[in-house]
Amino acid sequence: MLFLQLLVNGIQVGALYALTAVGFSLIFGSTRIFHVAHGATFTLAGYVFYELYSVAGAPWIAALAAATAGAGIFGVLVDRFVYAPIQRHEGSFFTVFVASFGITIVVQNLVGTAFGRGFVSISSPLSRSVELAPGLYAPPTAAISVLAAVVCFVGLHFFLTRTHVGMALRALSENPDLVRVFGLDPRRLSSYAFALGSLLVVPGALLTGATAGLSPALGNHVMLISLAATIVGGVGSLRGAACGGLLLGLAENLALWQLDPQWSEAVTFVVLFLFIVFRPAGFFGRVATQ
Amino acid sequence: MSAAVPALLDIRGLSRRFGGLLAINEVTMALEAGVITTLVGPNGAGKTTLFNLITGYLAPDAGEVLWKGRSLRGMPHWAIARLGIARTFQDLRLFTHMSVEDNVLSVMERSSWLWQPGGRRERRAKSARAAAILEATGLSDRARVRAIDLAYAERKFLSLARIMATDAELWLLDEPASGLDLRSYDRFLELLRAKAREGVTVCIIEHNFDIVQRISDRIVFLDSGRLIADGEPKAILADPHLANLYFGEHAA
Amino acid sequence: MIAYATNLATLIAINAILAITLNFIMGYAGIFSLAHALFFGVGAYTAAWIAMHVTGDFFLTVSAAALVASLLSLALALPALRVREVYFVAASLGLQVLGTTVFAEWKSVTGGIGGVIGIPPAELFGVPISDPYAFLALALACLSLVIAVTYALVRSSFGRSLTAIRDSESAAAAYGKNVALIKTLAVVVSSALCALGGALYAFYLSFINVESFGLDTSILLMAMVIIGGTGTVLGPIIGTVLLLLLPAGLSYLSFLPHTEIGSIQQMIYGLAMVVLMIFRPGGLVGARSLGERK
Repeated sequence: MLFLQLLVNGIQVGALYALTAVGFSLIFGSTRIFHVAHGATFTLAGYVFYELYSVAGAPWIAALAAATAGAGIFGVLVDRFVYAPIQRHEGSFFTVFVASFGITIVVQNLVGTAFGRGFVSISSPLSRSVELAPGLYAPPTAAISVLAAVVCFVGLHFFLTRTHVGMALRALSENPDLVRVFGLDPRRLSSYAFALGSLLVVPGALLTGATAGLSPALGNHVMLISLAATIVGGVGSLRGAACGGLLLGLAENLALWQLDPQWSEAVTFVVLFLFIVFRPAGFFGRVATQ
Repeated sequence: MSAAVPALLDIRGLSRRFGGLLAINEVTMALEAGVITTLVGPNGAGKTTLFNLITGYLAPDAGEVLWKGRSLRGMPHWAIARLGIARTFQDLRLFTHMSVEDNVLSVMERSSWLWQPGGRRERRAKSARAAAILEATGLSDRARVRAIDLAYAERKFLSLARIMATDAELWLLDEPASGLDLRSYDRFLELLRAKAREGVTVCIIEHNFDIVQRISDRIVFLDSGRLIADGEPKAILADPHLANLYFGEHAA
Repeated sequence: MIAYATNLATLIAINAILAITLNFIMGYAGIFSLAHALFFGVGAYTAAWIAMHVTGDFFLTVSAAALVASLLSLALALPALRVREVYFVAASLGLQVLGTTVFAEWKSVTGGIGGVIGIPPAELFGVPISDPYAFLALALACLSLVIAVTYALVRSSFGRSLTAIRDSESAAAAYGKNVALIKTLAVVVSSALCALGGALYAFYLSFINVESFGLDTSILLMAMVIIGGTGTVLGPIIGTVLLLLLPAGLSYLSFLPHTEIGSIQQMIYGLAMVVLMIFRPGGLVGARSLGERK
């Protein structure tokens, strides 16, 4: 029964990881920017919702809209005002990475100063667990997580295959030269990628807030998971990132079956480390790096 | 060409596939010591792939490469280089953030250990040799400049200076002269010919008809991964079919 | 006041050792490690264990710390040889997280979250170094040694090989450089010297726990190197001085709430990283750019 319980938890967490990781992977794939501040977007979205809904008492739909807008705008602003100037004169991987890391540090500490460094939780009737079978509990948020993931993926799929911008984004990750054929400005496309990728963290941020709770340091964890999922799934493959996220969510929870909770993050990284050393291309990756 | 003496480099039935594309298809050829061989063929014919296979950067699917009669199969990239096979890259791959002088010095020091090999005398000899190479390539007054800050033609000469510093017996040059202005490439050909007279064997990928004509002792023609002609420049260049297949495209 | 300055100077010397050794692999070999605090920790725990169970002799403990750290550094060299950039950063992150967990859980050696307390002072030729000035002198001597060693290596043929590999790995190999061996050596040297910093730290505080060796420390060290200037000799030292003086300076501004000083310090260096990357990617010292790598 413990195993089943962990499986349910794992699927819930995995669905949210998958969404977040796909956002990261989408940005990385189409812009080649190693956007570690993706975790900061996650934290910001979560705290905006918390502040409006749990503290100020706004209707949930308004808080959701604000969190969504906040995430998208933050992503685009970072791209416009930090990455774009760097890429204009230099564009090296490390420079962008360091700047992105700096943003993460700043956001984490701003949030910590404003809201305290402890955990806050978005309380809602939906996070109360229901007994599904004797000894097996799941809150409605578990179902909502999976549902949100499915809806977002279907939406994303339509966007990427049916719209002009979506197809251009896909082309960008396959072959940057193709973009000129589409007649689109790479800078504009980059903004689209950041907006879209950042939006995908919103369900994860809200639902994590409603279940495990939010903390300023959560962004680091999200960043690590997104990165790990992207690599485990294979860089450049959105499908891979989704599977990677799900796998890591499951691994992290199923590890509790045999190990103490403090080891669960370590398990994730053992998986990641092994993948990097022995199968750097991931599940669906096309090429190794060297 | 007596059969008893093994060729410097002997390529036998070499094949390499990339996915569905047969990039090199059963190529057999030999490079004789002291000969300048030009590798020509349309884009995508497999010329650079052939270099990558010889230097161990890629592993062949079939066939093998013999160096002085000894198989290079399974040897790492750097170990093959130490045997005396050196190459340049089409995109140069200079050590961009090192000075011109350090680019040359670094190539002379293969087995750099945690200490400086050799005493002061050896170090001085090394600097003197580096200076001579920079002199020959016209880079003397740029010795302290970082490679990334050089002009285009200077970068090409630095790429050449680097290979001169290796002491290699076989040079594989990947489009070393492309984009050079007329005066630069006269100097470039001069250098190359002087090296060949010293006994260096050169295999060069080149698109420029004029250079091919002026430098080659022998021309090897590749098309779609196959060796389709091999012989004296006169014979190859006179073949209207080949000329059309290749130089026609480039003349246009 | 003087005691305060001595304390700060000792901590600066120790951190400078860490930053210089990180710069050695980051700036010259292009190995961008987020696991440096791990080797700092390994050095500190090893020295503490030896000092408490075997001998307090400084040279012996330091050698043991360096040895253990260099052996473990092979775990970092392995991914560094196989992959680059994103992949390597991720692998080193993974290693750091894993290491922190081990530090926190391996209670018999590391004391778990509580840490190791009561580490005896280091002994030099049988004389315990408990006087803070004497310890500062020892720390400065070690720092000078680390500077001298890394400087000599960087200027030697080994340094040229490292830089050559960083700039173009394939060309370096094509000119006969054994890339795997050279990279591994760089990682081993960097980790061994970093462990020296760890040993000093353990002896100086006589108390260590896992908090000092986590991801935050790795990030702080990275910030020191980057803000000072990667791939320069002076950069990491200047970065260390600046980042360690920062909290001291902030505490003089009485209008800042004391509990937030740590946060404000981090915000400042986070912001400094962003601004520098936009306007001066080579850091404060280096005018040169980090380079264009594909």
